[in-house]
Amino acid sequence: MKGQENPAEDALILLRSRICDPSFVFTPFSDSPDSNYSKLKFMISSSVTEACNNSALLLGPRGSGKMAVLELVIRDLLAEHVDMISVIRLNGLLHSDDNCAVKEIARQLCVEHQLLFSKMASFDDNSQFMVAMLRECGLAHKTIIFVLDEFDFFTEGKQRLLYSLLDALQSVTSQAVVIGVSCRLDADQLLEKRVRSRFSHRKLLFLPPSKEDLQRLLEHILSLPVDMSLPHDYAAEFNAKLHRLKEIINALQNSDSTVENLLRFLFHAVCQMDLESGFLSLDNFRTAMSSIQRQPKMEYLQDCSVLELYILVCMKRLEAKEQNSYNFNSVMKAEYKGIHEAYQTSDYYVRNVCLRAFEHLVQLELIGFMDNRGNNQPIEFRAVKLLISSHELYQGLKSYRSCPAILRKLVDQ
Amino acid sequence: MGKEESPQITRRTTRSSSSTPNPKNGVETAKATESHPPTINDLVFGGEPIKLEELISSFPGRRIQILELLRLLGPLNSPMFPLFLYGGTSTGKTSIILQIFRHLSRPFVYSSCLTCYSPRILFESIINQLLLHRKNANNGYASAKRCERPSDFFVSLREALSSVLNTLKGHLGKSGSKKLAGRVNGRMIYLIFDNLELVRGWDKSFNILPFLFELNNILKMPEVGLIFISKVSPDAYYSNMGYTEPIPIFFPAYTEDSLRQIFIRNQENPRLYSSFLDVVLRPFSRITRRVDELSTSFSPLFKKYCEPLSDSGLVANEDMKRKLFSHLQPHLVLALNEIFRVQSWPSPGVEANQEKSKRKSSANKFGGREAFEEIDFHMSTSAKYLIISAFLASRNPATLDASLFDSTGGSDNRKRKRKSSEKSIEKKETAEQELLMKGPGTFPLERLLAIFQCITSVAESSPDEDQQNNEGLGAGNGDSGLMSDVLLQLSSLCNANFISKGGTCPLEGSTRYRATISEDLALKVARSLKFPLSKYLYRG
Repeated sequence: MKGQENPAEDALILLRSRICDPSFVFTPFSDSPDSNYSKLKFMISSSVTEACNNSALLLGPRGSGKMAVLELVIRDLLAEHVDMISVIRLNGLLHSDDNCAVKEIARQLCVEHQLLFSKMASFDDNSQFMVAMLRECGLAHKTIIFVLDEFDFFTEGKQRLLYSLLDALQSVTSQAVVIGVSCRLDADQLLEKRVRSRFSHRKLLFLPPSKEDLQRLLEHILSLPVDMSLPHDYAAEFNAKLHRLKEIINALQNSDSTVENLLRFLFHAVCQMDLESGFLSLDNFRTAMSSIQRQPKMEYLQDCSVLELYILVCMKRLEAKEQNSYNFNSVMKAEYKGIHEAYQTSDYYVRNVCLRAFEHLVQLELIGFMDNRGNNQPIEFRAVKLLISSHELYQGLKSYRSCPAILRKLVDQ
Repeated sequence: MGKEESPQITRRTTRSSSSTPNPKNGVETAKATESHPPTINDLVFGGEPIKLEELISSFPGRRIQILELLRLLGPLNSPMFPLFLYGGTSTGKTSIILQIFRHLSRPFVYSSCLTCYSPRILFESIINQLLLHRKNANNGYASAKRCERPSDFFVSLREALSSVLNTLKGHLGKSGSKKLAGRVNGRMIYLIFDNLELVRGWDKSFNILPFLFELNNILKMPEVGLIFISKVSPDAYYSNMGYTEPIPIFFPAYTEDSLRQIFIRNQENPRLYSSFLDVVLRPFSRITRRVDELSTSFSPLFKKYCEPLSDSGLVANEDMKRKLFSHLQPHLVLALNEIFRVQSWPSPGVEANQEKSKRKSSANKFGGREAFEEIDFHMSTSAKYLIISAFLASRNPATLDASLFDSTGGSDNRKRKRKSSEKSIEKKETAEQELLMKGPGTFPLERLLAIFQCITSVAESSPDEDQQNNEGLGAGNGDSGLMSDVLLQLSSLCNANFISKGGTCPLEGSTRYRATISEDLALKVARSLKFPLSKYLYRG
């Protein structure tokens, strides 16, 4: 059965699963001794073995692999120290409210230790349970690792959860490690004074990888394994063709050098792979590059009808005349009518039709209302502004098919 | 059957339910609905799966997008990044993705943020679909799990997804290689979120939008694929905390060729329609390029276009085409200046009258807009007068009321007209400008009632032919008889959004109202009452 299926399709599925799997992607970052992986692993394993408490923050831009590396560390530690670690995972998007957070902690503790969890338990019950569990685990020499993703969300409000967690860490009997993960590089500045004093100021910075690291990563992801799962010569030829493709990565890195951007780009490129030939080509990468780097406002401008373009040009002329606040009525009266009288265009439509085109523009978010109150005033009277720059408008008109010459002339003035 | 399994919601027995002998009927209907419990196969689109060529041919002009989507979805059981489909209205985003899933026969869960208008409804809809739970009388139309907050939803989602994926794995083992129509394909499940732009307007305290975008990362389940559909481009979702960006796929508006192909489909006489499109498509697409608006404008026009033809199956030659075009042209100009309206179906008698009057007036109004349109909904006379009073109160400054509405009916102010100097012309212009910008003003209730009384007393005393209009104003012109009627009318006008109720003025402490009708509508209403609105309007 293996030989009948297309090896290209197998390769495609393999590559896609690799790209979508963060633990695979970040494994090559874990070998060197001064990498974040090693530091983190050292810190947690020493807490586990020496039965002490610890806390740390992992900081870095989105998509730099903070959670991925942390999960790798936890996976390896779970394998090393069997039965001595339990992990509680919280996420700031879900559990920033103290009640939710404590309930979730209690639920995960119950699941881990096969206890019955009651949904009706109150905040006090849950927090007492948590403290009790911490004590018990400490006595049994079991470390609890608290992973707080989107840490900056927990710092909103009174920070009760953080305080109670870090406070519990101060007692002798508990054995816990609190690790916060955040995209805000100043996440520790957001902590209150009493919380910060209980927090050990360990921070690990996850910086975007260098050019060489990216090249290594690219090879690591895209090289097909030369083993039994794929025909040998196909895999070898595939890997040989990868060398030509490395230059395109430089262009990608100039705009956004995080790993996540590279992964998105690779995913797109790999999906374009031609299944008949079975190899990645430079064209695939170029297509992926152009579809990742989009200009949505320009795309929407090309979608506008001629009447909508008229309205945009009228608004731009009003702004150029330094009228700071104008609405649909003034656009119609001051500019639209004026243009029609001056140039006798064929595109003079009644107010209702123009109002409908105006509403389309609002829906496409090419123009927007200046106030948010909204519902008291009819739409003709609300102040509007352009949400595209004049340069974008100019470019859009230039590349618009069958754009009336009048519009281009008006924008130039 | 039903009693033990019904949920904990206790119902008060109403008189009707306790009087009729219920239990047996309940059991029978329950049995009837239970005979088709939903299975995992219901997560597929249903119906016959279609082939790729059929899929591409049923969406003219969308070949590129369909192929790109198929490539991104990938072969069976390959994980994927979240996708973000965006484009204007009626560009085919939802229908294409659903038809693609029909073609692929892969299981998916679809939820629209338009019908699920709050987080709780959205969450519960997804969980219900995943757990194959149908709301029926047995479970009291309750959802399977109660999910108010994202944290509850997340826990239930994880459980539901694991159970679905287990079922899929077991299914795969049993089914073998035979692929029946409507059976699921593969081990992955896809979640589709439609109308995502509406989520931005929901209550922001729950962080729903970042949560949805991060869902892929938080779930960490490679067998789950996420697809977002939105009208608004991805740059409108940028927030200050960032999120992992999904892969964007753009659905541009249709080109003229694709529009032509779309409109010709399902027409009985494609050649005739094609010649019709030659005439109308270009001018109309200068106004709007949306398929829904164009089709609503085209259908009545096509009927008009075919009027001279005796045989609608005819293929038009050049001569015929010119004749048809000249027949259509006046209507074309008319239609270009109209936005689409749903035609109400009048009774045949009224229609005949309208035809007669139209034929009389069409000779005069050749190529011009019909100026004497009727308002096509019914309003009582007092409501009409109230609307006019509100319009005047919003348009005119309060200081003018005394001069406009004196006891003689206020037609004196036009007698003395000084020669307008340059300064007054300038003042007029700035006042007009201000009027354009500011919008309708607010007025208190007392002013509205005062104007209303004044106008209705004038209308009653003026010698009109159709006196029967004024008799509907209540018992004579007694004030007390009119007041309660007016207040009721006012609240119904507020509900119909003709008058909006503003906040209270801190100094005076009463609510202020604002008339939000357009001048067109006010003129129409005034015309139907034969009220000289322009005499009362302040023109600066």
